[in-house]
Amino acid sequence: MAGRGRRTMSFSVDSVGISRGETLPPAVQQPTPVFPVMEQKPLPLTGGEEAEYLTALKQDFRGAMRGLPCFIQPAAAHRDVERYSDKYHLSEKKDGLTDWIIGERSNLSISEQSNQNTHQRFPCRPTGGALPRQQTLHRLHMAGGRVTLEKKEEQESSEEEGEEKKKQKEEEAEAEEEYDEEEFEEETDYIMSYFDNGEDFGGDSDDNMDEAIY
Amino acid sequence: MTAQEICLCGLLLREHFGEVVEKVGTHLLRSGAQNLRTIVHETNLSVDLVKKCLCVLVQHGACSFTVGRKGPGSPTEYHACGERILRVLRYSRYIYTAKTLYGDTGELIIEELLQRGHVTMSSTVKTVADRLTQNMEEGQSLDYSEVSSTFSKLVETHFLQRCPPVGAAGTSGGAAPAEAPATPAAPAAAASTAPPTAESFPECYTLPQVTLTGRGKRQLVPEDGEDQRNAKRAKMTSESHGDEGIYWQVNFERFHQYFRDQAIISAVANKMDQTSSEIVRTILRMSEVTTSPTATCTKPLSTNEIFRSLPASYNIPRHILDQYLTLLVDDPMEFVGKAGESGGGMFVVNLHKALANLARATLESIVQERFGSRSARIFRLLLRKRHLEQKQVEDFAMIPAKEAKDMLYTLLSHNLVQLQEIPKTPDFAPSRTFYLYTVNQLPTARMLLQNCYKTVANLIERRLFETKENKRLLEKSQRIEAILASLQASGAEPEQLSEVEEMISAPEKQQLDVLRLHVNKLDSAENQVDETIFILESYISSTSAS
Repeated sequence: MAGRGRRTMSFSVDSVGISRGETLPPAVQQPTPVFPVMEQKPLPLTGGEEAEYLTALKQDFRGAMRGLPCFIQPAAAHRDVERYSDKYHLSEKKDGLTDWIIGERSNLSISEQSNQNTHQRFPCRPTGGALPRQQTLHRLHMAGGRVTLEKKEEQESSEEEGEEKKKQKEEEAEAEEEYDEEEFEEETDYIMSYFDNGEDFGGDSDDNMDEAIY
Repeated sequence: MTAQEICLCGLLLREHFGEVVEKVGTHLLRSGAQNLRTIVHETNLSVDLVKKCLCVLVQHGACSFTVGRKGPGSPTEYHACGERILRVLRYSRYIYTAKTLYGDTGELIIEELLQRGHVTMSSTVKTVADRLTQNMEEGQSLDYSEVSSTFSKLVETHFLQRCPPVGAAGTSGGAAPAEAPATPAAPAAAASTAPPTAESFPECYTLPQVTLTGRGKRQLVPEDGEDQRNAKRAKMTSESHGDEGIYWQVNFERFHQYFRDQAIISAVANKMDQTSSEIVRTILRMSEVTTSPTATCTKPLSTNEIFRSLPASYNIPRHILDQYLTLLVDDPMEFVGKAGESGGGMFVVNLHKALANLARATLESIVQERFGSRSARIFRLLLRKRHLEQKQVEDFAMIPAKEAKDMLYTLLSHNLVQLQEIPKTPDFAPSRTFYLYTVNQLPTARMLLQNCYKTVANLIERRLFETKENKRLLEKSQRIEAILASLQASGAEPEQLSEVEEMISAPEKQQLDVLRLHVNKLDSAENQVDETIFILESYISSTSAS
């Protein structure tokens, strides 16, 4: 700040390039615009085969990740009414925590392991209903029944708080182990289509109603 | 981590792992190391969800866990690694590199490992063989041994490495995998003071003894009767291949080394000619495994060795090679340096200098594209001459005073140029102080790197916005494609197919095309910005290492 009464700027030196009496640019009164006008147009993207292939790889990878068990969605929107068949519906994404959690078999004792083989996940319901808290049987993954300490923890925690719908299925079936899950789900005597409540029937083609459906 | 980095990490986590993982991940990045209870409390999620998210993050190497800060016995703390999450941007580049080096098999192996984080060799081989068999013709299938051999080649060249064990003291056989993190009272974790890096594990590149025989299986259309019996039989037999518990991950550092080498070779090819770049490529190839990732320059190689290792197609005589090497050494870029006279001359590639030059070229090009070539001239001048006064800038750059002043002030306001005051008197009186303009390469590179992160975050946001805007249209087109596919599979007539195709009107088709074009452009732009990010990151980390 200059001395009292004197109207000089704090530094008005030629060395910075401002000469006396020269008009300075107007003071800025508001924040800069969100999309300022660019004097130079940006260069176009490098196209070419490699760039396109990389883009395609990227998009494929993103799509593939959505289908893997590590893509965690919170509990799906509830249906309007709880239906009996919900218990036996296949979840779209199988929460195979065990297969991709690095198994810690060496930590479990032999007796624990054999015990684990008989325990299973139970789909715990959202709040609002009477929740049976015991654990029903659930067939284990065939590749050696990799049970982890994590699963044991989850069992304990599911006893504590059975709030969210966590249907713990195994990892998606590997190709040589295809089997029809429908038959062997949840120790019922009926195949899964028995529990189909008809909501998905004819849902695909909304506009082709002129064709009679038998 | 800076705010831009955290924002970008959050977006990447959301796209690849879902919003819940994004919430937990960004919380960990913002608040540092925390134990499970604190995370649960502060994110307001259930314990199980948080555990699942932490599992996902650890599985992909984005989160590590250590003993709590109060010593053994206190709950384990989880620490997210933002750098690792930012690597997700580069995944397509890694996959493409594997494709160029090892073909489709290598591509699928790397893709599999990137999708799942930590996988055993046997499951990778099986999945990749099945996927490749899917695309082959009927009746053909791929043998597991081919995939295994590609896998071992990847391990030999260090592109894949074993996951490090947790708590080296308490593990058996040195091959124990990382523990499931949700066990707070992990005894093995308590034994280690710090999580070991992958490289410190001595057997990180040894292949296990795996018995893996068979061929890839094609996924059959399920038929009812026979499949049930097969399924039941498959359930009974459990296959173990002798490598339980040995998990593999992608070695990003090795890929980065490869990218860096490629950048240097293409720079030499652009500046000089193809033959010089081939010579540099030979030197780099020979020093691939002998050079550590943080080395300043490669190990010295004699002219004789280089001459012997040149590719057969380049049949240049010995004296021409000498001349090329002399030219490379004399070049102001200093990519290649001379380290001695024995063996006809010992030559090294100066890696850190090369990275610095590449970063400098990037900065100059950024200034040129944003502010024009004359501002770029001023910028280059200041980079070379370090400190200059206003008058000197005008003279050296040969730009009239007014315009030079304007340009300098624009650059100054964008923080690309700094003002350094040198007082003649201790009271810093303006008339008696020198004001010098200067450019510091490293801080400028850091600032532009943050700009790049913000750019990518903006691109991703825009892409998500565009997709959300047209969500209804996209869903409709997906449904129609599904109907078409099912109709074609069940052998419908062309009239039915055209009828279905007409369900989507022409302007809607146009809208879809425009949307696809935009999304592709945004994705491609992300990839390109990532290339700049790679150069700047490599440069910054090379300066911090030395």
